[in-house]
Order: sequence, then C-alpha cells, then structure tokens
Amino acid sequence: MVWRFLPPQVESLWTLFTAPVVWAIHFLICYVGAAVFCAKPGLFDVDFGAVRAGIAFATLLALSAILLAGILAWRQWGFGAGDPPHDDPTRHDRGLFQGFATLLLAGLSFIAVIMTALPALFVTGCLR
Amino acid sequence: MATLFWVMTCGGALIWAGTVAVLLYAVRRRTLYSEPAASRLIFWAGAVFPAITLILLLGYALWLMPSLRPLAQPGAPTLRIEVTGRQYWWRVIYRQPGTPPVVSANEIRLPVGERVEFTLKSDDVIHSFWIPALGGKMDMIPGRENRLSLRATKPGTFRGPCTEFCGTSHALMAFSAVAMEPAEFRQWLAGQHVPSAGATGTGARLFIRHGCGACHAVAGTEATGMLGPDLSHLGSRETLGAGILPNSQDNIARFIAEPDVIKPGVQMPGFDMLPPDDIEAIASWLKGLK
Amino acid sequence: MSAPAKKLPKADLEAQAERLRAVWANPTGWRYWTTVNNTQIGLWYASTAFAFMLFAGVLALIVRAQLAVPDNDLVSADFYNQAFTLHGTVMMFLFAVPIFEAVAIFLLPPMLGARELPFPRLGAFGFWSFFLGGTFVCGSIFFNAAPSSGWFMYPPLATDKELSGIGADIWLLGLSFIEVASIAAAVELIVGIMKCRAPGMRINLMPLFAWYLLIVAGMILFAFPPLIAGDILFEMQRMFDWPFFDPARGGDPLLWQHLFWIFGHPEVYIIFLPAIALMAMIVPTFSQRPIVGYSWIVLAAVGTGFLSFGLWVHHMFATGLPQISLAFFSAASEAVAIPTAVQIFVFIATMLAGRVIFSTPMLFGTGGIAIFILGGLTGVMVALAPFDWQAHDTYFVVAHLHYVLIGGMLFPVIAGIYYYYPLIDAKHLSDRMGRSAFWLMFVGFNVAFFPMHLAGLRGMPRRVFTYPADVGWDWMNLLSTVGAFVLAFGVLVVVVDILRPKHRQNRGEQNPWNAGTLEWISEPEENWGVRSIPHVESRYPLWDQKNLARDVNDGRFYLPDAEEGRREGLITSVLDGDPMQVLRVGGTSYVAIFSAVSLGAAFIALTFHWWIATAVSAIVCFCAILYWLWTGTAEIPEKPAKDVGLGLTLPLYASGPASVGWWAMFITMVGDSTAFASLVFGYFFYWTIHPDFTAGIAGPGMPWPMTSAVLFLTAWAATFAARQLNARGFVAGMRIVLLLGLMLTLVASAAGFAGPWSHGMDPTAHVYPAIVWVLVIWVLAHAAVGAVMQAYCLARSFAGRLTPVYDMDIRNIALYWHFMAITAAIAFAVIGLFPEAV
Repeated sequence: MVWRFLPPQVESLWTLFTAPVVWAIHFLICYVGAAVFCAKPGLFDVDFGAVRAGIAFATLLALSAILLAGILAWRQWGFGAGDPPHDDPTRHDRGLFQGFATLLLAGLSFIAVIMTALPALFVTGCLR
Repeated sequence: MATLFWVMTCGGALIWAGTVAVLLYAVRRRTLYSEPAASRLIFWAGAVFPAITLILLLGYALWLMPSLRPLAQPGAPTLRIEVTGRQYWWRVIYRQPGTPPVVSANEIRLPVGERVEFTLKSDDVIHSFWIPALGGKMDMIPGRENRLSLRATKPGTFRGPCTEFCGTSHALMAFSAVAMEPAEFRQWLAGQHVPSAGATGTGARLFIRHGCGACHAVAGTEATGMLGPDLSHLGSRETLGAGILPNSQDNIARFIAEPDVIKPGVQMPGFDMLPPDDIEAIASWLKGLK
Repeated sequence: MSAPAKKLPKADLEAQAERLRAVWANPTGWRYWTTVNNTQIGLWYASTAFAFMLFAGVLALIVRAQLAVPDNDLVSADFYNQAFTLHGTVMMFLFAVPIFEAVAIFLLPPMLGARELPFPRLGAFGFWSFFLGGTFVCGSIFFNAAPSSGWFMYPPLATDKELSGIGADIWLLGLSFIEVASIAAAVELIVGIMKCRAPGMRINLMPLFAWYLLIVAGMILFAFPPLIAGDILFEMQRMFDWPFFDPARGGDPLLWQHLFWIFGHPEVYIIFLPAIALMAMIVPTFSQRPIVGYSWIVLAAVGTGFLSFGLWVHHMFATGLPQISLAFFSAASEAVAIPTAVQIFVFIATMLAGRVIFSTPMLFGTGGIAIFILGGLTGVMVALAPFDWQAHDTYFVVAHLHYVLIGGMLFPVIAGIYYYYPLIDAKHLSDRMGRSAFWLMFVGFNVAFFPMHLAGLRGMPRRVFTYPADVGWDWMNLLSTVGAFVLAFGVLVVVVDILRPKHRQNRGEQNPWNAGTLEWISEPEENWGVRSIPHVESRYPLWDQKNLARDVNDGRFYLPDAEEGRREGLITSVLDGDPMQVLRVGGTSYVAIFSAVSLGAAFIALTFHWWIATAVSAIVCFCAILYWLWTGTAEIPEKPAKDVGLGLTLPLYASGPASVGWWAMFITMVGDSTAFASLVFGYFFYWTIHPDFTAGIAGPGMPWPMTSAVLFLTAWAATFAARQLNARGFVAGMRIVLLLGLMLTLVASAAGFAGPWSHGMDPTAHVYPAIVWVLVIWVLAHAAVGAVMQAYCLARSFAGRLTPVYDMDIRNIALYWHFMAITAAIAFAVIGLFPEAV
C-alpha cells in the first residue's frame, strides 16, 4: 500500500497546527522577502520578476506541505469512514476528531496560502 | 475605485440581509433539520461561498492597485508639489524644472486634467495628507518621504483635512485644494514668483519691528522666517489658520492677538500685548498681500 | 469507563463535606481580600473590568456630547484628546481583554470539572496587578494627566515630552504592568485547560469555551510580547533619550507602528473569540441539542488564531509601504473572514437542528451576531488597500470597529451575564429588564454608529474634537450622539438589573436553563467547585450521563475528601484526560497581593522618576516573590502517592514535562522569546531602512560578544549537567557544577557588557548603539534571573528541599537555561557577526 510510505501516525496535539504553521512560514517568507528586496534593491542584484518567481516557488512548496499534512489528516480521519460529530468517549473517536479538524485546517491553510500568493500575480513592482 | 466601492457595498448588503434572514429563520421555524443537512449549510454557506467570493474580490482589488498609485509610470510629471506637515499647518512648495520653487502654505492649487505628483514630508509628528475628492490618503512621516499622485478632473475647491492624529489641534488642521484650468493655473503660479504689489508700506515696517519675520517669510521684505507659514500672498488665500477661518482682516487681527484661543496648542505666541492699532495695521497689510 | 463509587453513609459524607469546606473556605474579616479562590478572584476581576467599562463609556458620552453640534466648546481640545485616548485604552486594555480572563478564571474550573486552576495565587496576583494598574491609568484623568496621544501612542507625538507630558508614561508603565498580568493569566489558562480537565475529558469532549480560551491564551503569548518590547524601546526613549523613534538620529517612527499592530490586530481576535466562545455555550443550551460542527469551531478558532497575525499592516496602508507588502496583508485580511463566517454558520446550523428557546441571552446573542456580520463585511471592505486609502482614519473605520467590537464582544458578554448569573448566587436577572435593555441597546447602537459610515465616507476624519458647520456632517453627528445616549441608557438598565437587591427572590434551580455542561453542577454556596471530580464521558455530561449531578454531590467520584487539609485537584493527560497526578495548589496567602502591590509601587514610582522608591519597591517585590516560591512551590509531600477514590492511587509530586510547573515555565519562556524576537526584528528593521545602519559608529566588535556567547553556552551546559548529576544521585557533584555554572554566568555577563562598553557605544548618540545596548541588556537581565535561579537551586539543595527524587526546581531552571542559551547565542551572533557580514 502506498500509505506505508507516509510517516507513521503521531499521537500529539501539535499535528493540528502543522498546516497553519506552514501558512505562517510561507506568509513570512513572502512578506520579508519582498520587503527586504524593496528596501535594499542593491543587495541581491535581481529584478522584481525573480521575487515573483521566488514567491511562486515558496507557494508551491507550501502547498505541497499542506497537501501532505492534509493527506495524513485524512488517514487519521480514517479516509472519511465516519461522519462527525466524533463525540464518543474513546481513543478511536478522539483520533477521528483530530484527523477531521486537522483536515479542515489544512483546507483553510491551502486557501490562505493561495490568497497570500495572489499579490505576486498582480503587483509588478515595489513602487508605492 | 467607485465600482469597487459599489460592488462591495451592494454585495455586502445582500450578504448581510441573506445571513440575517437565515438567522431569523433558524430562530423562528418549527421544522427540525437533520444534523448532516445542517453541517452541509456550514460547509457551503460558511466556508465555500466566502472563500470563492473573497478570492474573486481580492483579485479584483489587487488588479486595481497598481493603477491607483501610478508612480511607476514612465515620464516624470512636470509639476511636483512638496507638502510638509507641521503642527498644525502645511508648508507647500511648488517645484518645476527650470524655475525657482514657489513657497506657500495651507492652500494647494493644481491644474485640472494633469497628473500632479506630491512629495509628502513632516517636520515634527506624523500627519496624513488627504483630499477626499481626489483620491486616497498618504501619511507624512518624519524622516521619510512619501509620494502620491493625484489628478483633478474638474475645477473646484476641495477641503483636505489632516487625517492622522497630530496633537491638541489636530481637528483644526486642514487646507483647501483649488483645482483650476491649466492656463489660469500657470498664470497664477507665475504671479507667485514675484512679491505681492502690496509688500511695502507701514504694515511691513510694523511686521518687521514686532519680530514677526523671525518665523514668517513675506517675499519682498526682510521677513524670511521659516518656522511659520509663508505669508507672501496671504491676502489671496481662501482661508486662514490652516483651513479654519474665512480670510478677513478681522480674523487676521484676531489670529495675531490670540492664536492659542483659536487653535489650542499652536506654536505661535499671542501678540495681544501689541497696541491694537498696530495689530490692525499689520492685519490690513497682510490682507492686502494678493 | 468509571462508574461512580458506592455512596457512603450520611455521617461520613457530612464529615467529608465539612473537611472540604474548611479547606476551601475564604478567610473572614478584612483578610477576605487575601483569598485566592478562583470564584472570588473571577468575580472581583469581572466587576472591576465592568466598572472600567462603565467609566470608559462615560468618557465616550463626553466625546459624543462634544461632537453633537459643529464648533462645540463643551470641553477643551486637550480634555477631549485625553477622553478619547482613555476611552480606547480602557476599553481595550482594561475591559475587553481582562473581562475574558475574569470569565475564564470564574468559569473554567467548574466547566472542566476541576477544583481550581493550577496556579491560584498567580491568578490573584494577576487580578491585583490589573486592579492597581487600571486604577492608576484611569485615575490620571482626574489630575488632567491622562495620556492624550491616542490609544495607539504613535511617536514622535507620544515620545515628545513637550507634546505628551506624563500621560504617556502613565500609559506605558501602567499598561506594561497589566500586560505582564495578562501573560500570567495566559500561562495559567493554557496549563489549566491542557492539564487540569476532569478524567475522561478527551480533547474531542472538551467544552468549546475551553477550546477557544486555549487558542486565545496562545495568541496572547505571541501578541502581547511585541508590545512589551515596543514599550521597552518607547520608555527608554522617553526616560533616557535613546533615539529608537527619532529620525534625526537614525530611528524610525514606523517601527513602533509595526510592533504596536503586531499586538493590536491579534488583540481584536483575542477580544472577539472568547465572546464567541460564550455564544458557543449559550446556543446549544437554548437549542437543546449538542452543537453541530464541533470540529468546524475548532477549525475556526485555530484558523483565526493563526491568520490574525498576518493582518497588522492593514493598519498601516497609508504609511507608504511598498504596494506588494500591502497586498500580502490585504490577502490575509480577506482570508480571516472565512473562519469567521464558519463560526456564524455553526451557530445557525445548530439552531436549525434544534428547537430554539428564545431567551434573553439568545436575544443578546443573535442581536450581537447581526451587528457583527455588518462589521465583518465593512471589515472585508477596509481590508482592501484601494478602499482603505479612502476610509482609513475616518469615521467609517470608527463605525466598522464598533460594529465588530460591540456586536462581537459587548452583546455576547451581556448575553453571558444573563446566562451565567445564576451561577453566582442562584438567582435570576429580570427577563423583562433584559429585553428592554436589549432593545434600547440595539436601537441605540445602530442609531449611534450607522450614520458614522456616512460621515466617514463624506470625509470626516477620526479623533477630531470639533468640525466645521459647512461640510455636511451635522445631522449625522447629532444622530450619533442621540443614539449613544440611548445605548448608554440600555447599559444602565443592565447595571441596575445586576445591582438591584435580590434577597427576596427565592433560590433558583441548580441548572435553570437545563444546560449540558459541567459548570452547572457547581453550587454557588460552596467554594470547592465540585464536591467530587467526575469522570466525563460526553461533550454534554449533564444531558448524557444519568444522575451525574447527584452522584457528584454524593461524593461518589474522585477526591471527595480533604484528609490532609490541602487544596487538591487532578492532573490529567493532554489528549485523553487520563488521571496522572494529584496537584496541591496554594491556598489563601498574603504573598500574591503583597507582590502585586510592591510591583505596582515600583511601576508607579518609575512613572514619576522616583528612583529610590522604585528601587526599594522592586527589591521588596523581588524578596516577596522569592518567599512565595520558597514556601509555596515544589513542596515535598508527606507521602509519595494517595488514594483518590474509585480504586485509583496517584502520585503527589511530578517534575519535568509531567508537572504543571514545567509547562508554566515553558509557556512563559515562549512568550519571553517572542519579545526577544521583536527586539531582534527591530535590529534588522533599522538595517533595512538605512544604507549603512551603523552610521559609521563602532560596534561591539567580534571578540567580546563571541566570548560571552561561548561562556553562556558553558554556563548552560553546567546547569544541564547539574540536573543530570542530581537525577543520578550525585548531590555533591551537582552542587559543585551548579556553583561553577553560577560563576560562569557572572563572567559571561561581564564579557557581554564589555563589548559595547569597551567600544564606547553611546546609546543616546544614534539608534545603532541604542539597539545593540538593548539586546545586550536583555541578555544580561535574563542572565541575572538565570543566576538567581542557579543560586536558588543551590540553596534548595542545601535546605533539603531539592533532592534527586524531588527535583522539580532544577528541572525547571534547566528549561529556563535552554531558552537562555538560545537567547544569548542569537543576541551575540547578531550584534557580533552581522555587522561584519554586511
């Protein structure tokens, strides 16, 4: 099975935050990268096109990472085997809840990363 | 820009009405919905619909952005106006290649139909420059120089308030922007290069003797102070005290005597210890500086 | 599954209850004020915050009265500026954030089935800090000394002593004091929610209120420290003329705006989420069914928590930053609307799937949501830079923010008051008064704030004390003023309803709304929270677990007794709520109030530059805190474990990650590191805005900083080794190594100081030496704390309070030193290596 190549399931609350953390890192890279480029254009000797390309690259990376987190969450959710509310007092249902919530967060982060990348599509220069 | 506003306002009103209608329905109705049906509502109305709407709206706004601040466009504008914020007035300098700069204050004139580029600075605290009728605002930040590009499409006088809180009399800091036909504007600007015809006279002597020249400049006299507004053509301005009083001789006299009553926290000291006749003479002379 | 134990005979139960009651009793007489019980502290906290809200409301009425007609001269310009500054400051810092801390302290323990939060004395300390700081800040207006530069305190206006006077110092120091208290509350809430839930309460069964509060407390941890860092820079400029925001000497006013809004925007969600959390408790109760979309709420809370940190620049759209930067923040500001929409539809879905009882709390709740949606939609508008360039700093934004905050926060809070009031004294608030209050507030609010949208679109700027008559804003402002007074009258009705005597009313039922969550078990007459700690098997235990309330009150679950005369609660595991430890919490004590008062005295004395008083108060506070730690923490129990009932025996002591103290340290240090990161951000910020950010001034060089970094790392290694030695039983070796570590810390500090000192860096000359000094001082201050900790552990070891088995102290300080080592390494690498690299 292809699922065996995925990392093993982690028993932790932290996995819930993976996708949003990826969004945060992507956001910081885009913002800091562009801000430093605009403040110190001489530093890197590249043009704005390179900044846009860099953002595109970072976006692809971030989206793949979120996709992976989403797939892992989907697995934890039992590939959608059961519907919410997942409120049984069992370890199994607790896991399903975590998986479902993580999957939702991965979805939101995916959209948020796309929205963060949109500016690079439309804005073509630093000038105020 | 106006399209964006109307799209958002009407769209927002519709969404508000729709959501509140569903909310009221949820409170009032008698039928019970199943949990899966209710969950679908969360998914479609709470997540999918806003996500799509917002991505479209964001794309539209981002697409608008570069054209609203068109500073990257090639071809330097012929007229550059440098405006410096001070507590609580504006220094205005008109810069054109090949001619000496024209210094003025608290009133900005610009030609209709031409793009004018503003350089915005501040000498003390943060102010914000805004002519609501012509376009968005831009802060004036000490140590930084901001740029803004505006174009008036029809003649008229517009009010421009300071929009960043800048101290006690923030509310009393405004200017008027007068958009004029280009020819008329050039003629006016040329007139600003020469001292006012009324620059000599008794008033001028009193003005110098009482020390007004330490802070104010009047072209054609010994008064060259830079701390306060330039008064070279004060009589031709529409307002006094940075857009707060009608320009009349009485108001000028009042401002000389008790500026801190008219404008709390103002830098200028009151000159009510001067003989009333002197104040009247100075006021009359200033009003004559067309 | 844990079934309740057999019921004991009546006499035994009475004896148990008597012992419990004695242990949890409040002190009497004037010593009542030294209590630390969460119920009392929560109530005091909430009442104080509510009183500050009323005070700020009166200021708002003065503001509205002044603006009723053009060219009005009811109050002077200066007083008006003080009034609106204090209105914003008090509403944000002294009402909106503290009220949620108050509600959380009051509600969380019963809701989680816990007896107390893990650090009750810390909670009391937080309350007294808040009370003192808040009174100090509010009181200033009676001496005409209130801050008057706006709640955002932009330099240079607020750094200029001529222009802003002592009010700015009062703002900075008074609020810094409160920010520290907020972080203390955040630590307490995070640990409480993660570790102190009733057995069986897995994370998928946790009440939604707790989920929200967990996220909000986490947000505080990342949002408040940047402001604290900003406050430090700001106060250094005001007090010692270090030019962080002075462009003439390389500073930049914009750095403050960044730091302020990195705090300021998450702050809005820190305010909004707990109020929505109240709604998430109220809506299921009055729909008489479990919430639909529990996981969606978790998505919304976590998603909002993260996205809200990507919005701060939308307050700076007009500052002339590059368009691309603005665009990123526009994007995140739009994205955050998605989780917000999800929350609203979760409530609607729950109502659709249940039978709605339209009570007073629901009236306030739905009314608030209707208002909030409008505020959210205008938020979507102003988040787009092109529109914001018009709307920014106009009354449009005033309208927007009040729609968001009053609809999203004040209305739900009042819904919460009507809902939870029976928990305070088992009496009800009046339904009739509640409904009239609602309609007055709802109509008054809309009449007051809707016209502001129009005034803003017509160009009326914010923060103006007057406006001319001929620009067409007259009728809108008059209408707003009328509406504001109607709104205030509505609030007054609520206040009267709360304060009117209710002793003639009969005691109501235990659970009047037939709610499903645990807080409705607790009896207002008793201080112990729950009679016995239940085993939870449902999200709504009172609906799903038959006879739960009766069994709990019959003492048939965990810890029904207090044989040793100690206040005890259970520690459970994070994910599944498995019982792990019995936690003994601190009881009534002077230390909390004493420490808060002395710390407050230090801050207040500092405001007036009374240096000696400051130093004395600081030393007193330091000693008080040491005494507090020495006598009240890491206590070695008289036996290793105890029987908690239902056949379960749990240890009485834990150290390392199994203990709450370790987590508290970890969480505190995460917040601390955020503040440090903000200072480092400042360093690089200055680098980006200048072609040569050193301005040709000599830096600290490479040798000293590198030496210091290496020495600090050795000190860290020594501390870590001491921990290991102690755990292996080599007590003497541990003492020697720890002493060595202490000396290394002192030498490392001297080396760190020597860098900028030996190069004669003058912090008042330019911003470069100033920011280097700030980083060095930050490290040195932390080293001083680290040294005190090392000495403390030595003393504890000699006093026999730290042993190889009972090693909580040294494990906690080793954790501190991990952070310390990272801080020192980064700080010295930045100041020592970076200038060489560029």
